Amino acid sequence: MIDLRGLVILGIFITSLLAYTGYRRRRTIAFRKMRGFEELGRAIERAVEAGERVHLSLGTGSVIGSDSGPALAGLAVLSRMATATSMSDKPSVITAGDGAMMVLAQDRLRTGYQQVGESTRFQLTAGRMLGPTPFSYVAGLPAILGTGDVTVHVMIGSFGAEAALAADFGERNGVFVLAGTDDVQAQSLLYATATHPLIGEEVFAGGAYLNAGPLHQASLSTQDLVRFLIVAAILLGTLLRTFGVSL
Amino acid sequence: MKLGTYLIWAAVAVAAGIIVLLGYFTNLDVFIGLRLVLLRWATLLAAAGLGIGLVNLASVHLAKVSDQEPGWPYSGVLIVFLTFTLALGLFFGPDSPWTLFVFNFIHLPLESSLMALLAIALVVAGVRLVGRRRDVLSLAFLLTAILILLGTGPWPVASDSGLHTAITDLRAWVAQVWAAGGARGILLGVAIGAVVTGLRVLMAADRPYGS
Repeated sequence: MIDLRGLVILGIFITSLLAYTGYRRRRTIAFRKMRGFEELGRAIERAVEAGERVHLSLGTGSVIGSDSGPALAGLAVLSRMATATSMSDKPSVITAGDGAMMVLAQDRLRTGYQQVGESTRFQLTAGRMLGPTPFSYVAGLPAILGTGDVTVHVMIGSFGAEAALAADFGERNGVFVLAGTDDVQAQSLLYATATHPLIGEEVFAGGAYLNAGPLHQASLSTQDLVRFLIVAAILLGTLLRTFGVSL
Repeated sequence: MKLGTYLIWAAVAVAAGIIVLLGYFTNLDVFIGLRLVLLRWATLLAAAGLGIGLVNLASVHLAKVSDQEPGWPYSGVLIVFLTFTLALGLFFGPDSPWTLFVFNFIHLPLESSLMALLAIALVVAGVRLVGRRRDVLSLAFLLTAILILLGTGPWPVASDSGLHTAITDLRAWVAQVWAAGGARGILLGVAIGAVVTGLRVLMAADRPYGS
């Protein structure tokens, strides 16, 4: 017994990803402007020039759970961030609430430093686990944000209600705060607390906006296409039901 | 040498991902069995990751204490209680009354107090939002929040008035039609984004395990 519908949907995703990647190599795809990511690039440049620290939070989700998606998107941002900040006097700090996620962050950071030939500047303690539960993780954040040398606070990962406190700590310290998560309720909290909140699927767009590779940009086009198909299916289903046609 | 190592990591990650995916999409015993074995291994590795994370946590704070960095007394308290709690769990077991006492009467109240702090932080953030982002969306956000608060609980006075009933009905309409519809749209977007992110890892385009 094979779940054909599931495989067809998966096929649409993979075909679209590959097709858009090929298209992206030939032509430039323009995306709408996202102020948060544009400002992030500038904030990182300023931090590197001023010898200040950049902090990336990968959230409190685990690697093996269903909440790993946003943190994987955060790791894509980390790749770009690591190369951009490799020459800074103060290395970036990456925090997570899960030990395995912390190991992945250390690995990504090390790779980023190696890619620009600065592997000697990598410090193992740049990737940290702050606490295994959501609120113990948040309780550890002021120790990093309150030192005065962190000026960019990026949160891309899985957060619950604790996201509001995590963003608020950054705002209180007057640093640049960009925050996104997969949880709808936490997104509404971040809308109130963060200067640059990421709403909906914007949390997955970091790699594309920071030029992490053609497949990242193809991902955004794929998301748009699949969303269009879903909206069309919903509208069609509504019309059919309205006219008494049952599927 | 490095290229070979990277290919092995990528091959292992892609193969494991495809087997787990096939376990979901097919009913074949071989894939279902392999999926369960791989998921058990992943759970074990995640537990090992927690151990590594705790060592990392202790080493960062030990360094802070030894270098007498600002806030080092807090790091000292953390190390003392980390050792204490770990010793309790190792010697008496995670279900012992001593361990449960620490969790129920120290850990849980501390986390609850942070939850209470969250309510205050949100009120302050709401006030700050008015000054920081003066646009239609922020205004709509604040008005909706006030409407939901007014329509959720009883009022000190005039709880049985027509105005209260009207606001309660309006709250239900906003929450069940507008908010629920919007939340479903956001959830669809998040789900699609998560699938695409997972596929990038499966296609070895994203390599969170290093290159």
